[in-house]
Amino acid sequence: MFSFNQTLKPLLTRFGSMPVAILLLVLLAVASVIGTVLKQNQDQADYLHQFGPVWYWTFRALGLFDMYHTWWFLTILGLLMASLGACLYRNVPRFLQEMRNRKGTLSDNARKHMEYKFDVTFDDKDKAVATVKSSLPDWKWLETESAGTLWLRGDKGRFHKWGYISVHTAMLVILVGGWMSVQFGFRGNMAVPEGASENEISYLRGTGVEYLKMPFEVRCDEFSINFFSTGAPSEFRSKLTILEDGKEMMSSDIIVNEPLYYKGVRIYQASFGDGGSDIKMNLFRLNGEGTVDVANTKVYTKFEDPYSDVSMEIRDFRPYNIENMAAAGKPKKFKDMGPSVDFVIRGKGLKPVLVRSFMEPFYLEDNNQGSMIMISKTGDARDFETYMLGLDFSNKKEWALFQSFLNRLPRTEGATQQDNLAAFRAALDEVYPDGRPDDLPMLGNRVIQSMQVLPDMPWPFVPILDSFDQTYYTGLQLAKDPGMDVVWIGSAILVFGLCIMFYVAHRKVWIKVVEDEGKVTLQVTGLSNRNPVAFEQEFEDLKEQINTAYKQGAS
Amino acid sequence: MNAATTFFGSEGSFFEGRLAHTRFWTYLGIIAGMTGLALFGEGGYVEDNYLFELFSKQGATWLAGGAVLGFALSFIKSASKFRAFRTAEMFVPWLDGAVVMLALMGIYTLFEPTSAMITYEDQSNLVSGRIVMAMNVLLLFSAICYIAHLFAPASFIGQLATFTAWAGVYAGGSALLLRWYESYLLMGGDIGHAPVSNLYEVFILLFCVICVIYLTLESRHQVRGLGAFVLPIVAAGVFFSIWLESIGQADIKPLVPALQSYWMKIHVPLNFVGYGAFAVACAAGAAWLLRNRIEQRNPNSAMLAVFPSLKMLDQLSYKAVAIGFPAFTLATILGAAWAAEAWGGYWSWDPKETWALIVWLVYGAYLHARFSHGLHGKTLAWWAVIGFLVTIFCFIGVNMYLSGLHSYGQLT
Repeated sequence: MFSFNQTLKPLLTRFGSMPVAILLLVLLAVASVIGTVLKQNQDQADYLHQFGPVWYWTFRALGLFDMYHTWWFLTILGLLMASLGACLYRNVPRFLQEMRNRKGTLSDNARKHMEYKFDVTFDDKDKAVATVKSSLPDWKWLETESAGTLWLRGDKGRFHKWGYISVHTAMLVILVGGWMSVQFGFRGNMAVPEGASENEISYLRGTGVEYLKMPFEVRCDEFSINFFSTGAPSEFRSKLTILEDGKEMMSSDIIVNEPLYYKGVRIYQASFGDGGSDIKMNLFRLNGEGTVDVANTKVYTKFEDPYSDVSMEIRDFRPYNIENMAAAGKPKKFKDMGPSVDFVIRGKGLKPVLVRSFMEPFYLEDNNQGSMIMISKTGDARDFETYMLGLDFSNKKEWALFQSFLNRLPRTEGATQQDNLAAFRAALDEVYPDGRPDDLPMLGNRVIQSMQVLPDMPWPFVPILDSFDQTYYTGLQLAKDPGMDVVWIGSAILVFGLCIMFYVAHRKVWIKVVEDEGKVTLQVTGLSNRNPVAFEQEFEDLKEQINTAYKQGAS
Repeated sequence: MNAATTFFGSEGSFFEGRLAHTRFWTYLGIIAGMTGLALFGEGGYVEDNYLFELFSKQGATWLAGGAVLGFALSFIKSASKFRAFRTAEMFVPWLDGAVVMLALMGIYTLFEPTSAMITYEDQSNLVSGRIVMAMNVLLLFSAICYIAHLFAPASFIGQLATFTAWAGVYAGGSALLLRWYESYLLMGGDIGHAPVSNLYEVFILLFCVICVIYLTLESRHQVRGLGAFVLPIVAAGVFFSIWLESIGQADIKPLVPALQSYWMKIHVPLNFVGYGAFAVACAAGAAWLLRNRIEQRNPNSAMLAVFPSLKMLDQLSYKAVAIGFPAFTLATILGAAWAAEAWGGYWSWDPKETWALIVWLVYGAYLHARFSHGLHGKTLAWWAVIGFLVTIFCFIGVNMYLSGLHSYGQLT
């Protein structure tokens, strides 16, 4: 048989002790540091690449990639809760006892070791006692008779121990609230394209993704973004409708910082992206015949070129590309480069690269510099390099001019400048029969640049964005958190307790009223559990105050 | 104490007694009016309109209503209890200071160049930049004076140090307010927002907070020697912020949608009250360690006369933590409340959150060591110093080295 007192109590005492608590706090802090240094919930392939197989599997076994949900981290939190509980169990009865019991007397030996004390002598006992009490008006007084001597004990801030009790209780309440959130709540993301609806959220757990069906459907009726002139989004707004069994239950707009609340679930605006926009690209064939094909496709789909083995995997569409054109350190100059489409181009013998194709040509000081594309050889958007194509592909006449010029160029060796110029004039006459275009010098430059660039193109065509019909998806976060209110209650108690702990000092005075030959001497002793600097001053003032008040009362 | 002296304070001072009490409650009323406008005002809370709304008819109604209510409330609290005035006497100088800063800001706006000379692209003509530069100079000068004061303890040098530190605080605070106003001058008022949105701005806030906490302790406990430890920390920050400005981080930029919330104005400044207080605690800890060393090596050093006593330094370090810890706790809780509203959860184990927890644990352990184990002196002095290093990492290191949801504090 084991009894509570013999077996559990020492365990509880040990568990609620300071060293155990400190150890747990240090463990928690160190573990938390690991979680911040090692990026959490990234792609597994990235981790493998970053750490190599040995460390990857070690870290994975320890659950370090989703550390805050591992059993051992949760165990630390659980032990902390147990330790807090044990600490409260051990100390609260004692604190309550201490607050209730106020010893009215003070032994001479104890007084000898106290720092703050003084004696004052008066004539009238009753008046002296009354003066002391009125000098410390808010204090709680207790009168005790001990061995024929009157003792006064005054207390101020007697309930400061409630500070400790509430702070530690609050921590326990917050941890319980957190546990409730994890146990009975959920939090995940869903992406809803404009016009579509969705009823499943996904979230990361450990090294995988998990899904959860919602008891309702969310439809995105409309999504809109406003931009600052720097190109940064200033607001994104989703018009959402909640459906249950196909019935519309409610409609509401949400923006960041203003979520929607439906049946215990909060729906937050979290992100946005392309919801599969319709993309039309022109493919300018580099086959010498000037053929232009049309590629009708969508974001997130793959376009297979029917005339070659080249494919384009459409990744993203951007309606604006606002860039700072100024050199570093110069006043900023923002410019919108217009819409663009990102795709990965693949084919036999081709190195797969990420391409960003712009719809509009690039203008420098109102001069048309021709179309441009950006290419990233690594596939990372940060490594984009700009390539000027020369021709303005948004104007099909320029392509025709280029082809005509190319076909008329004398093929023989030793062709003179004169011959080339004649070929260009003839091409101009063919494409622009009604007169020369206005920016002829620039046009000439563009065609010449194209002559140098286009023949080096590894692809069978030049893909240029022609038109688009944009659709967004709205990135929503859905969360149900039954522990949240518990956490707020705990937080309120915590702040309340901290204020008591820090700003209420328990100050005590003992006064022994010693009568001797018609005179009365007050032996005053003071003690404060906190802020000795302020108390020293206060105690100094008290002596002065008692003397003055006694005299004023006498006159 | 008769009624007249009660009303005007024991010495008829502006900062004591009934006068302070009434003013304090009126200020509180005005703050409540501002809060009410943000929460319940017609048209809701719009970040880029809030400042102007304060001066609109609606805003004036809220503010005046709050002020009258506060003024009335101040008479309900019993005037017979002289102690009741103590809280007011403690806070009123700070609120008065805020009013002075507001007035200074109003004066600066008169010197603002014409709107043709101010563009988003080129913000170099804005007046606030110059005021901040003045603040930098004042604070650096103050740091030099405080250090000089240790070696040449003439009261004149000390007074000069204190004076320039105060001047720096007023320059910094009013420059920040001016920046708030200036943000409305750019891009047709589309990007107006409170000046607590990037590293550069919060640095200025931090200087002011550190100085105000320290200068309050200085005037209350006559501990000018501590300034030689506090102001150098500020000076180091000044150099950092000058560097930030040199790499173009000082520009007023539009707010990302996640930050467009009134929570930002509460969460960020409160956090910096915590950081600032921990900086002062660190300085007191460092001063303790140095004094201890000097006492051991050279007990007759003249410098000891300028240093506060070890006991006082120990107390000051604790006092600073006692200001910082509750403020930091409240800031973290309010941050969690904001996160619950903007990110879908009150706690996401985001690096900044986690480091805030670590800072909280460090100072929580400090308090346990002090009260449960009765530790004092050397250990706690070191603890305050190391705790501040952890705080610095939480403040700057996380932004620079770890990514996460708080990434808007990052350098771009």
